[in-house]
Amino acid sequence: MLSYRVRKSLVWYLFLLPTYLLFALFLVYPTIQTFWLSFYREVNTVQEFAGLYQYTRLIANQVFQRAILNTVVLGVAFLVVVLPLSLVLASLLNNLRRGSNFFKMIYFLPQITSTVAVALVFGYVFQPNWGLINGALRLLGVQDLPLWLADPRYSLTGSRAAVTILAVWVALGYYMLIFLAGLQAIPTDSYDAAVVDGAGPLQSWWYITLPGLRPTFVFLILTGTIDAMSRFSDLWTLGGPGGTPARSLQTVVMFMYQTAFEAYDFNLSSAVAVVLFFIVLGLTLINFRVFLGQEFGGAEREAAA
Amino acid sequence: MATDTQPAGTSYKRTLRVRQIIIWAILLVGALAMIAPFEWMIATSFSRLANQSMPRPPRLWPIDPSLFNYEVAVKNLPILRYYLNSLFVTAVSTVGYLFFSSLTGYVFAKGRFIGKPVLFVILLMTLMVPFEVRMIPLYLLMRRLDLTNTYWALILPFLSGGFGMFLMRQYMTTIPDDLVDAARVDGANEFAIYWRVVLPLCGPPLAALAVLNALWRWNDVLWPLMVISKSELYTVTLGLATAARQQGILTGVALASTTLAILPIALLYILLQRFIIKGIAYSGLKG
Repeated sequence: MLSYRVRKSLVWYLFLLPTYLLFALFLVYPTIQTFWLSFYREVNTVQEFAGLYQYTRLIANQVFQRAILNTVVLGVAFLVVVLPLSLVLASLLNNLRRGSNFFKMIYFLPQITSTVAVALVFGYVFQPNWGLINGALRLLGVQDLPLWLADPRYSLTGSRAAVTILAVWVALGYYMLIFLAGLQAIPTDSYDAAVVDGAGPLQSWWYITLPGLRPTFVFLILTGTIDAMSRFSDLWTLGGPGGTPARSLQTVVMFMYQTAFEAYDFNLSSAVAVVLFFIVLGLTLINFRVFLGQEFGGAEREAAA
Repeated sequence: MATDTQPAGTSYKRTLRVRQIIIWAILLVGALAMIAPFEWMIATSFSRLANQSMPRPPRLWPIDPSLFNYEVAVKNLPILRYYLNSLFVTAVSTVGYLFFSSLTGYVFAKGRFIGKPVLFVILLMTLMVPFEVRMIPLYLLMRRLDLTNTYWALILPFLSGGFGMFLMRQYMTTIPDDLVDAARVDGANEFAIYWRVVLPLCGPPLAALAVLNALWRWNDVLWPLMVISKSELYTVTLGLATAARQQGILTGVALASTTLAILPIALLYILLQRFIIKGIAYSGLKG
């Protein structure tokens, strides 16, 4: 006979059953298989245990090294531009008396547009001869027009700069909204107290606003880094899985895709996935730590919003 | 601001107004930069000449307005079919996602059973595995189950997700237990309590999740690219990406197709913008 407690529990297990079955089939099983595949190699269509073979291949692979470097460079460049820009816009919006909903709507528009569509349009916007940007530069009297997406070098007018402008343009509205929520969560009495103490606007900003935004910064930097690690759609649309020109736009996930679906090397591709897993895991753990450790004000902020 | 009627306040008031105008002007310049690519896209999509030679300097109004590019785009691209595919896949997976998220959220918010903490930790752990990490074996699984080139491949893996369940649970814990206990005393079974008592109170998180999930599913291209190769099953995003590879040289036609892919969603967004922006700000997360 089942005890009363177990019988009472049964109905809840029944509710959980479909969800955990879906998890087991589409989440746990593939994740385990990713690890499994990364330790094997295919010999005459048979999977053979190969230890760390795929990982040694991966470390020696220069295309992979480049993809990692690209992913990091593009992620850092994106955050370095988007954070200050969206903070300035959020501060302006926070001081605006009328029409802030209108601006929110406009700035947020790229967020709801499909990444593929946006990337397609930007492919034309950055066209060197007749694109929108070079057209504007020409009107401003610039002589040496940049090649943008056709220039694979590390440069402020090269392919990496172009896709960073694209990413910032897409994400600006979202970052701005999150900063705005952060700004509105800072209690106004702190500012009043600062004015009483004789602080100017710049001092208030430095001593109250910036520290008050610390949790917002941490949240955006960490989620932004995780997003950057899995960047695929826009760069794939512009440069194919190889990240043309000259692999300057190939990220880790694009390398993973190319290894699996063009070279049909599922084992090596799985090794890439495992590396990606540990990078994202590390970032997530930092995220949890920071948030559970010192940000219990978050719940209040949500309630206020 | 109308309350300030003292003469001494006028110069202060003027400074305030000037400041508002400056803020407005800066934000407007930014807004124009946000709109310009869309505007240019639409303008070019109406120009037949754009297919042979793009005007220099770029024009924000077509020299030769015509619907030619749209006629070609619609003829080349079964965009209506793509829309129906996207709509079906997005709708079914979003309804399923909301159902499983809210049901599991309810279990963890209001259930009393053995092993609850362990099962909850498992749920949280699923949040740590990004889709990209498991997508290759997931594709192999779909192939083995013979589900590639079916709608199922686009729906099944996205029916349940840790994020939605966590969000629903967080919200449901704020619903008073008394309400649930009262229904239990009245003899309602647990599913009826979830469906009739708790779910109707969960408007805000359900709306937020619906918006987020619909955007994720609608805009995803990586997964459809892997499991769909038959063009009848293309989603809008995949169809657009594939078409771009073929008609890339015909700028006017390509931008007409892109406009067709963007415009309906953009119009929907303008209608529902407050709701959508609130939903995304509510969850504080996008993906």
